[in-house]
Amino acid sequence: MGIVIAVISGKGGVGKTTATANLGLGIALNDKKCVVVDFDIGQRNLDMILGLENRVVYDMVQVMDGEANIKQALIKSKVSPNLYFLAASQTKDKSVLDSKKVEKLISDLKEEFDFVILDAPAGIESGFEHTIEFADAAIIVVNPEVSSIRDADRAIGILDSKSAKVKKGEDVLKWLIINRIVADMVEGGEMLRSDDILEILNIKLIGKIPEDKGVIEASNQGKPVILDKKSIAGQAYARIAGRLCGKKIDMKNVEISDSGLFKKIVGIFK
Amino acid sequence: MQSNQYSVKVFETTISDEEEFKIFFDTNYTLFKDHLILIQGEISENIKNYLKDKKLQYLQNMNLPKGRSRKALEKEFERLEIESAVTKQMAEAEIKKLSNRLQNNLTVLDGMIRSGREINIDGDLLLLNRVNSGATIKTTGNLIITQVVEGAIRCNGSFMMLTASPKANIVFNNVEVDNSLLEDRLNRVELKNDEIIITPVLKKEINWAL
Repeated sequence: MGIVIAVISGKGGVGKTTATANLGLGIALNDKKCVVVDFDIGQRNLDMILGLENRVVYDMVQVMDGEANIKQALIKSKVSPNLYFLAASQTKDKSVLDSKKVEKLISDLKEEFDFVILDAPAGIESGFEHTIEFADAAIIVVNPEVSSIRDADRAIGILDSKSAKVKKGEDVLKWLIINRIVADMVEGGEMLRSDDILEILNIKLIGKIPEDKGVIEASNQGKPVILDKKSIAGQAYARIAGRLCGKKIDMKNVEISDSGLFKKIVGIFK
Repeated sequence: MQSNQYSVKVFETTISDEEEFKIFFDTNYTLFKDHLILIQGEISENIKNYLKDKKLQYLQNMNLPKGRSRKALEKEFERLEIESAVTKQMAEAEIKKLSNRLQNNLTVLDGMIRSGREINIDGDLLLLNRVNSGATIKTTGNLIITQVVEGAIRCNGSFMMLTASPKANIVFNNVEVDNSLLEDRLNRVELKNDEIIITPVLKKEINWAL
């Protein structure tokens, strides 16, 4: 039996889908069987980031409706044999989802895989609720800015009240990823510090990802940034994936800029 | 101020026969030489000179405070004890009445109030966690929040206790409270004669003994 992790954020555009793609691949590279499911019905884009857009034949809605079986719909990644992808429907909308069908799909995937990662849609509508309903854990992605924090806070609140696990009296695990940290701005006091974010959201931190221009290019090419060993964001995703797989990896402080440190050292010798 | 306190032995008398008085003092001089002589009534020059010769200290027509007997003191203590027991009982009854009023509808919450939640409390609320931005707390009664508030507060009770909360929106009995007046620790916000009074309660850091 695997673990079901929903990747949520509340606010759109903070890097949920990028995180899902990279963590899915990172987990697969740690020799765990992993499936990533795009729950953003009507606006799918996880397929593009994974570079699998032209391989989609059947989507998740067709599987739930019995038009295709799950083996037909699962798409194997070109990069890792451990990673599979299940696409969202691009033609239908969120209203096609139904709790019973979602539960069936998720429990089938749980049998087959070590990790089932669900990419939630932005917002807190029914599509979001269906994504979190049967999740064992949630990864909350935020940017270090107030609007993202408030939306994430709201999403966590809904997670705590709508999750099936919570209704049974159990706890949903919650991990925080702070994405797109610009060290210079944190040092200058223009960007929220991770300590402040953790105080507001009061959940466990699983990783901090620095801003990295390589992410956009990697997404455009359909090659998740985690494959780029030199990318600082890619390295950060690799550390988080390792932590999810149970490895003990120390938290790296990405809120201190290297250039700043370098300047300081040069300053001493001047 | 420096002061001394001591007891003095007093011999009190009235003079009817001056000779008798003199004889009495001549024979009992050693006994009474350290006493304060208190004479009620008139004193003749003759007696005054006599007392002066004998170097006796005297007072005339004075009402000195007298010590009471042990029995009288015990009785007095008993009376005070009964009296204090009665006031204690009255105070206890008063506190009980007040706490009854507080606890009849007191809600205690210790969870974090996240964005988007609206808590409506009919009565008093004691909240032991944060109120995040985008959350709302409404009470008809008094309100105590021990952690920082970033959301909205609507309190219609007679008092609130809040810590410094620069991002909060606080409305107390339909009046917006200037939250820059809230100090670091805990502040009491009360309504007295249609005026909002904010008093810092604790100057020291609170340790809630988690």
